[in-house]
Amino acid sequence: MVDVNMTLEMVQASQVGMKAIGAGIAVGLTGIGAGVAEMAIGSAAVGATAENKDVFGLVLLLTVIPETIVIFGLVVGLLLLF
Amino acid sequence: MVPVKSVFAPYIYVCTRMRVRKSKLIPREEYMRMLNMSLPEITRIIQETEYKQEIDELSSAFKGIDLIEVALSWNLAKEYQKILEIAPGNLKQFTRAYLRRWDIQNVLTILRGKMQGEKAGKIKEILVPAGSLDRAALDRLLAEDNPERIIEALKGNRIYPVLSREYPATKESGSFSRMENELYKQFFSEIIAEAESGIKGGNQFLDFIRFDIDIRNIKTLFRLRMDTFEEDAREMYIAGGVLSSADFANLNILRDRAEFIDQLKVKIRNNLLISLLDELKSEKVIHDVESRLTRVQLEQMERISKRHPFSIHPILVYLEKKKYEVFNLRALARGKESKLPSERIAEYLVV
Repeated sequence: MVDVNMTLEMVQASQVGMKAIGAGIAVGLTGIGAGVAEMAIGSAAVGATAENKDVFGLVLLLTVIPETIVIFGLVVGLLLLF
Repeated sequence: MVPVKSVFAPYIYVCTRMRVRKSKLIPREEYMRMLNMSLPEITRIIQETEYKQEIDELSSAFKGIDLIEVALSWNLAKEYQKILEIAPGNLKQFTRAYLRRWDIQNVLTILRGKMQGEKAGKIKEILVPAGSLDRAALDRLLAEDNPERIIEALKGNRIYPVLSREYPATKESGSFSRMENELYKQFFSEIIAEAESGIKGGNQFLDFIRFDIDIRNIKTLFRLRMDTFEEDAREMYIAGGVLSSADFANLNILRDRAEFIDQLKVKIRNNLLISLLDELKSEKVIHDVESRLTRVQLEQMERISKRHPFSIHPILVYLEKKKYEVFNLRALARGKESKLPSERIAEYLVV
C-alpha cells in the first residue's frame, strides 16, 4: 500500500527493506527445510557409520545434499538484493 | 511417505543400525557352502563373521561343538543386550517386553536340566541371558540344588505365580508342557496389555504380537493333527490372535486336511499366510510345515518393517532373524557333529 503522503525516498527505502525481508525469508526458510531434511539423513548416517565405518565418506556426501536447498535460497536472496 | 514430524531422530538412528546389522547376517549362499564343510571349517568360517570375539574368548575353555554352542549363545545374549542399550524411549520398553520370553526359555531349561540331573555347567552352555534375568541371576538359579528351590528363588519375578501354581502337577507328570503353555499364555497376555496401554507405537507392536500368536496357534494346530495322543486343545491355545478359542477347538476336531485348511483360510486375513496354507495342503512333514510358517512370519515382519521404517518393527525383524541365524548355525554344527547328511541338515535351516 502506498501512502499519498510518502516521499520518493521513503518509497525507495521501503522497497529496499521489503527486498531484504524477502531475501531473509528465502534463506531462512530454505535453511529450516535443509535442517529438517538433514536431521533424518544425519541420524541415519550416524547409525550406518556406527555399524560400518567404511560408509563414512558416502553418508557424509548424502548428509550435505539438502544443503543445495539453502544454496537456492541464497541465490534467490542475492538476486533480490543486487 | 513417513511424516517428518512424527519421526524422532533417535528412532531413525536405531532403525538404521538394525538394518545395517541385518545386512551383515549370514546369507543363504554361505549356509549352502557350510553344508559341505566339516565342523572345524564351520568354526573357522563363524570366527570370520560377527562371532569372532566370542570364539576367541572361549576357544581356550571349550572345543568343537561346545565352543560353537557357547559362543553362539553368548553372542546372541550380547547382541540383545546391546540393542536394549541403544533402543530409545518406547522402543526400549517394547524390546524389553519382547525379550522377556527368554526368561521363560531359560528358567524352563534350568528346571528341565536339574530334573534330569544335568550338571550346572552343561545347562549354562545353552542359556541365553537376554531377558530380565541376567547372567548373574541365572548363575544363582543354577547354583540351587533342586527345582523347588529354583522356583522359590524366583519369588518376585513375573513368572513366579505361574511356576509355583503349575509345579506340583509338573513334578507329578514329569512333563513341562502344561507349565510352558501357561507361561507363554501369561507372557502374551502381559505384552498385549502393555502394547494396549496407550503408549505411542503400541499399535505397531500389537500387530507383531498378534501375528506371532496366530503363527504359534497354527503351528500348534498342525502339530496336534500329526500327534497321535488325545490332548485338550484348549490348553494349548494362546488368546490374542485372530483365532478365537472356539475356532481353535473347532479346527482341531476336523479330520480332513483339506477341509481343515479351507476352514482356517476363512479365519485368517493375511494374504501371505493364505497362499502358504494352499501349498500346505500337500505338505505332510510337520517339520517342513513349521519351517514354512516361520519363513512366512519373517517375510510378513519384513514387509511391515518396510511400511513402518522407524518403529519397533525393524528392531523386531533383526532380533528374530538373528535368533534364526543362531538356530541355523547350531543346527548345522549339531548336524555335522552327528554326521547327518547335508540334505537332512538343510531341511532344518530357516533361510
